[in-house]
Amino acid sequence: MSNSIKVFAGNSHIDFARLVAKRLGLDLAKCVVLKYSNQETSVTIGESVRDEDVFIIQSGCGEINDHLMELLIMINACKTASARRITAVVPCFPYARQDKKDKSRAPITAKLVANMLTVAGANHVITMDLHASQIQGFFNIPVDNLYAEPSTLKWIRDNVEDYENAVIVSPDAGGAKRATSIADKLKMSFALIHKERLKASVVKRMVLVGDVRGKTCILVDDMADTCGTLVEAARVLMENGASKVFAMVTHAVLSGDAMKKISNSQLDRLVVTNSIPHDDKKLLCPKLATIDVSATFAEAIRRTHNGESISYLFNYVPS
Amino acid sequence: MRNISIFAGSSHPALAESICERLGIPLSPSTKNKFSNKETNIEIGESVRDMDVYIVQSGCGNVNDNFMELLIMIAACRTASARKVTAVIPCFPYARQPESPYKKNGMPLSRVPPEEVDKYAVLWDGKLPITPVPRALDGILEPPRNVVSGRLSPAPASVVFNVEDGPQVLSPTPSRNLRALNTVIENVISDESDDDEDNDDDDEEEITPSLPNGRSDSLLSLDGSRRLSTISKSNSNVSVLPLAPQPPAHPPTPAFPGAASVGYKHWTARSGTLIANLLMTAGADHIITMDLHDPQFQGFFDIPVDNLYSQPLLVKYIKEKIPDYHKAVVVSPDAGGAKRATVIADKLNMDFALIHKERRINATGSTASSSDMMLVGDVKDKVCILIDDIADTSFTITKAAKLLENNGATKIYALITHAIMSGDAMARIKRSHIDEVVVSNSVPQEEHLSACSKIKVFDIAPVFAEAIRRIHNGESVSFLFESVPY
Repeated sequence: MSNSIKVFAGNSHIDFARLVAKRLGLDLAKCVVLKYSNQETSVTIGESVRDEDVFIIQSGCGEINDHLMELLIMINACKTASARRITAVVPCFPYARQDKKDKSRAPITAKLVANMLTVAGANHVITMDLHASQIQGFFNIPVDNLYAEPSTLKWIRDNVEDYENAVIVSPDAGGAKRATSIADKLKMSFALIHKERLKASVVKRMVLVGDVRGKTCILVDDMADTCGTLVEAARVLMENGASKVFAMVTHAVLSGDAMKKISNSQLDRLVVTNSIPHDDKKLLCPKLATIDVSATFAEAIRRTHNGESISYLFNYVPS
Repeated sequence: MRNISIFAGSSHPALAESICERLGIPLSPSTKNKFSNKETNIEIGESVRDMDVYIVQSGCGNVNDNFMELLIMIAACRTASARKVTAVIPCFPYARQPESPYKKNGMPLSRVPPEEVDKYAVLWDGKLPITPVPRALDGILEPPRNVVSGRLSPAPASVVFNVEDGPQVLSPTPSRNLRALNTVIENVISDESDDDEDNDDDDEEEITPSLPNGRSDSLLSLDGSRRLSTISKSNSNVSVLPLAPQPPAHPPTPAFPGAASVGYKHWTARSGTLIANLLMTAGADHIITMDLHDPQFQGFFDIPVDNLYSQPLLVKYIKEKIPDYHKAVVVSPDAGGAKRATVIADKLNMDFALIHKERRINATGSTASSSDMMLVGDVKDKVCILIDDIADTSFTITKAAKLLENNGATKIYALITHAIMSGDAMARIKRSHIDEVVVSNSVPQEEHLSACSKIKVFDIAPVFAEAIRRIHNGESVSFLFESVPY
């Protein structure tokens, strides 16, 4: 599939981009993204992109502002180099959590990022498990919000023994919909933890709604940042009689001393996707396991390029 | 002053505070920090509804972080119903193409050895893409006349194109058209005396063009790069058919490592328009900046941009602090800054000199280090004043100082507006022949002051404060282009 498609990778998650390119049977296109001496980002595109279908893989993780500028400048460089169509493939969307004015004068940064991507010249965005799927509406260009759910279901079926008797638990009320969707597909029961929060990253009190006595519990959430929520939830579940607690999270930000918290917690395993690089965190804590979603992204890219439907990916994992 | 709020970004809060002091209003509170995943978090501390908001943020330090902060603050004020949001950016980021980017180990990318260039770019590999020919034209290829001098050999697998011997065909996989053409050429040459009267187009084996008799046929011509092509003058709708993919006889050598010879030349993206678009998209209504490297940058914006000048401040410094300045010489360290330097020289009735960097390609093919610097003008036994807008790595200014010293200058001053001084620039300045480096505080200078005693700082806060006052009151700012506010 080498006709008129080029896949570029920014510096945020090159291993993931390599996996995607391998599945597509391509080499990553040559480009050099560095910094000048005064810390400005420099992008040099090493191949012609005239009339090509360009895909730029860059995740919103690590040094987010630097990676976001890299992505914008790469998109702009391809646009001024007459690319036919530019798709930004952003496994973890940056600033997705700042999507509403929840306090006076709070910026809706997700909208700003959407505007910036459009102004830079992106024609299409592919992302996974947006914090709120309404963020698709911030864009005037098509956005494909892929789901990690089929991969999650597959992992549960393959790795959790006796999963029919386990319980899917949502660590907060906002994620209830996500958790019930999984529970329905696997015909499992469901529970919910209601949390009251004082300010960002400080949890106040957690109340369990549902019954978990003697059961294996599977916590499901979209993002694990400081892991305060997950660790508290695991504690509450064990207090209420759960036998084992797994956590399945799509985006593993794992900032600060999250890994230490996980190591000391009552979680049995923390299963994350590779939308964000975390190999160094794995060394710190053996409880971390990875689900590879590069196949889903590669298939989405292939179908987008060939003009086929990607609905298949909403229910199945490409083999 | 009513209905005005001034916010400080985290790049240069001291400048914002001194601007507020000059204006006599308090700096508006805001918190800027980062979430645990390094996303920027902005909280605007007081109401900005229906206020004129000015956000002071310079493009220095962690440029991307500070720029994102600026954009998010602008967006926050806009969604909080501010009347007008102005971005005050003393040192504008991404305003110029800086020197080569650096690899992670510190080596500039322009000096990558030729063997490694493949890792970074796809160079032209000697094969031209095959021009597709529509199927319907197979068999209407005209017999070439007038140029062929001697027999063509039958289509071989690959032969080098050499004009003197007569056109032979180079093609890794001889296409059907090629074979057809060669057959035609053979036929034509063997029956050269014939007029092309017979219509052999029923014959599938020999693909002979069928032409109405007497019609002129095509000419084989050589275009500029010695490629054969047929120009059909028949009444078919074919304009120019390349004979075959032909590379030039001598592939040109790259001018410097990293340059493709012919075909694709990779280039570094220029981000100026993107930055302008991002600022406008975030919601800025007005930009105030100082000494833009490229004055045409104002044209990238659809909103008003006030490009203030530091030149009155420089003139004031020279008059007050440089003894006997009438006898000194204003020097521009490169040709691009000549205009900037001559304006100052004219204002003060001083002599002017220029340093010209001649770029020569040395033996290894690199232009990077072997540029000859020539002094145009006379500086013997004079005090020299170098004028430049940006000092980043300080290569330019220190090399210029060395040249002036070699040409007999007694004392060397350097007046620089934006002193970014990244990497080991300060150490270089210390070792150099410059006696005094005078910079503005558009970029925070505390570190540089403690690193080197040659640095003196002049304050640009009065200029910005006066500009903000005049813009807020709707008065003309032209006063600031000539004089220093009291």
